[in-house]
Amino acid sequence: MAQKEGPAIVPEITCQEIVQWVSAYLDEHVEDDRKRQIALHLAICAGCETYVKQITTVRNIVGLLPKAGEEPSDLRRLRHTFVAQARRSVSGG
Amino acid sequence: MNTTVTVRTRSVEHSVFPAPALSRAAEPDEEHELIARLRRGDEGAFDGLVNQHHGALIRMAMSHVRNREMAEEVVQDTWMAVIEGLHRFEGRSSLRTWIFGIMIHKAKDRGVREKRHVTFSACESFDDESEEPIDPARFHQTGEWAGHWAFPPQPWDEQTPEKLLASQQAVNAMQRAIEVLPPTLKEVLMLRDVEGVDAKQVCEILKITETNLYVRLHRARERVRQAVETYLEGRQVAV
Repeated sequence: MAQKEGPAIVPEITCQEIVQWVSAYLDEHVEDDRKRQIALHLAICAGCETYVKQITTVRNIVGLLPKAGEEPSDLRRLRHTFVAQARRSVSGG
Repeated sequence: MNTTVTVRTRSVEHSVFPAPALSRAAEPDEEHELIARLRRGDEGAFDGLVNQHHGALIRMAMSHVRNREMAEEVVQDTWMAVIEGLHRFEGRSSLRTWIFGIMIHKAKDRGVREKRHVTFSACESFDDESEEPIDPARFHQTGEWAGHWAFPPQPWDEQTPEKLLASQQAVNAMQRAIEVLPPTLKEVLMLRDVEGVDAKQVCEILKITETNLYVRLHRARERVRQAVETYLEGRQVAV
């Protein structure tokens, strides 16, 4: 009998399962079968597609949140120790 | 070099969401050069190193200790250990991984000692590994549609990222959500998404598996997503 064409049947996955995979999926850190399964689901599920977009937005935005400028309060002392240590290491071989 | 990441997979156009400006890891040659300069006692190289990592180290240390003052002490100790250890650093990991590893070790040590004397602040939540990342009540529990959305997320408009960053209230809501994350979730979010450290390095620094990393990372991102969702819903009600 002729082999049926087309991709192998991918077992269904629920939305509740999808949400657990989203971050690994966005980093391409899921196996090929799982990736296909998720991609197929996303193609037909508006709720999950929205969810993936929102997690993507969060991933992209948190690094852009304002951060307080930081400098050690005792940078001068650290720098001094650094130079002294480097001299010791060089002279010590 | 541009290190933006786009997800090349199929139907959903993730590439329309640019990945964050990742603070990239140094190329091996640059890293070699930097280490050589540091070993020669080049103050400019040292200042550059401190500038690049100090803020991130403080923010990370804050996940483990009680207050800002202690975080500063931990990071101060970290820099001292870096200065003392530079000539022994073998480059088996990146400089950043090494520095963050030292800090995490010191912060955890300090945190453990502290916990004998203090209880963590009431606002800090704990991560229950068995808990679902998102409220199960948002999904049908029984019937043909069990496990599928009962209350799906409402789409955000395309301008949402820009609007969120422009709104002080939204920024506060996100920062607050990050602040109250349990330490295990906060540290992965800080390293991976805030500092842009790649997944392998994060696992090395925190000594966790990649599976563990993504479980934690997703829970952290979901909590920030919920904060945004709540903020946006609040705005709709207010209009």
